[in-house]
Amino acid sequence: MTSLAALGKRAAPVFACIGLLAAWQVASLALKNDSFPTAIEAIRAIPDILGDKEALNNILASLRRMAVGFGIAVSVSIPLGLLMGRSRAVAAFFNPLLMVIYPVPKAALMPIIMLWLGVGDITKTLVIFLGVSLPVIYHSFEGAKAVEEKMLWSGAAMGLSPAQRLVRIVLPAALPEILTGCRTGLVLALITMITSEMIARQSGAGNILFNALDMGQYDTVFAMIIIVGAMGICLDAMFERVRARLVRWSEPQFDMPLSFS
Amino acid sequence: MKVVPSRSSGWVRPVTPQKPASAIIEIESVSQVFQTSARKDHVALSDISLAIEEGAFVSILGPSGCGKSTLLYVVGGFVSPTSGSAKIRGRTITGPGPDRGPVFQEFALFPWKTVLGNVMYGPRQQGVRTTEAEAQSRALIEMVGLKGYEDFYPKELSGGMKQRVALARTLAYHPEVLLMDEPFGALDAHTRTRLQNDLLNIWERDRKTVLFVTHSVDEAVFLSDKVVMMSKSPGRIREVIDIDLPRPRRRSELLLDPRYQKYVVDIERMFDEVDETGSRS
Ligand SMILES: Nc1ncnc2c1ncn2[C@@H]1O[C@H](COP(=O)(O)OP(=O)(O)OP(=O)(O)O)[C@@H](O)[C@H]1O
Ligand SMILES: [Mg+2]
Repeated sequence: MTSLAALGKRAAPVFACIGLLAAWQVASLALKNDSFPTAIEAIRAIPDILGDKEALNNILASLRRMAVGFGIAVSVSIPLGLLMGRSRAVAAFFNPLLMVIYPVPKAALMPIIMLWLGVGDITKTLVIFLGVSLPVIYHSFEGAKAVEEKMLWSGAAMGLSPAQRLVRIVLPAALPEILTGCRTGLVLALITMITSEMIARQSGAGNILFNALDMGQYDTVFAMIIIVGAMGICLDAMFERVRARLVRWSEPQFDMPLSFS
Repeated sequence: MKVVPSRSSGWVRPVTPQKPASAIIEIESVSQVFQTSARKDHVALSDISLAIEEGAFVSILGPSGCGKSTLLYVVGGFVSPTSGSAKIRGRTITGPGPDRGPVFQEFALFPWKTVLGNVMYGPRQQGVRTTEAEAQSRALIEMVGLKGYEDFYPKELSGGMKQRVALARTLAYHPEVLLMDEPFGALDAHTRTRLQNDLLNIWERDRKTVLFVTHSVDEAVFLSDKVVMMSKSPGRIREVIDIDLPRPRRRSELLLDPRYQKYVVDIERMFDEVDETGSRS
């Protein structure tokens, strides 16, 4: 019973994918529209893209920018968010700035950044960095603020300096919240990556997608969407595994019962 | 130096010979005023003065909200008093330090550490080698009755178990002064009695100075050399009562001792008075 339930839980995403593809196939067959290939046609186009050296290089370049942007964003945002959460002065300084930046779509800043830094890697990485930073800062900030005072006091009594308390108490205590922010950040990295390549059409996965669209190669367009989507799903699943391991100590033990009858 | 036993009670108080009993902690006209969210001043402590002798076991009794925890935080250096000062060995307390070990009412365990990890944290921080820290910590965990739970995370423990881990975690780094905030409050009567005995044993062996907040008159009399009764009008010391009962104390003997019974009855009566004046104001 339990093993069956566990199997069902693991297979559920696979069933969801199959269901989605089936619905796509049916819809496409029913609509008979040139710009809407069937799922099977799109899937058939995938090996062509991944087999093409240039296309593969483009996709790898995208992933590299995404990794660099995400990595820098996380390593800057977590310390900043934690400091803001524990120091009123730091929060007072950065909060207004972040409040202004937060609602601005980062892609809207691209034209200006392109003007200053060109259409190369730096511009795109910077946009990814901006996209990832805010949710990570926000969640680190909230996580650090919620750390129980007495826990910090206990650390201080054991002789931990303020810096040690930040790294060895605030960081682990806020980790579940920080990782929630990072997970959002990861998906946003993918989104801003594609968006940046749509705007600065020079290389990358987004570029292949939009070139194919220009040339009316709709099966390639949809194949790219599947590839990018699969990348997102894989990255998210990988991240989720790491996250779950790191914060096992904080996961709730019981589901909330929907009724006590 | 010999301490002359007080003739009236007729008992000898064992005191470490080379160190004469002298105040290790001096609280001098400490007041603590909090700004509440409603932007009103709230007096939690007003003009508290108290000297605590080295090696003494002092309990603080008083109704809920009379400032017992706040007083402990001042001695711990976690909050600085609005006025007045607290001193340890003549030095003004300006912050927390490993010479004063708190056991908080809220446990404040590190949830990402196992029971063993929590207890080892202090010694490791003090630079004790891992193997040594682990051996000592395992012994302490066994002492508080949690053998077999070393690898459990705090969320997997009951309230009483968490409290025992918190106690072990603080004892592990050997603070000179223990600041205990209702450490046995969440325990069942049986475990409570056992831990009271364990604490007394540790104390009789190490002669740490203990500042012990409790709601229980019984517990205060059983454990203490001195009981400080606080009142809520607001945050004052109502009376300091010396408990002249022989040590080592054994529960079974003490419960039958008329002197013990008198202390309990007298202090309980005083507690009732204090609580009434508190609620009337
Ligand atoms: N941070 C704070 N801000 C405002 N008021 C506070 C704060 N901390 C404590 N107080 C107030 O100070 C008073 C004393 O609080 P304290 O926690 O010391 O009481 P206590 O004697 O330990 O009570 P209990 O026995 O219920 O633990 C209370 O009336 C409380 O409302
Ligand atoms: Mg309290």
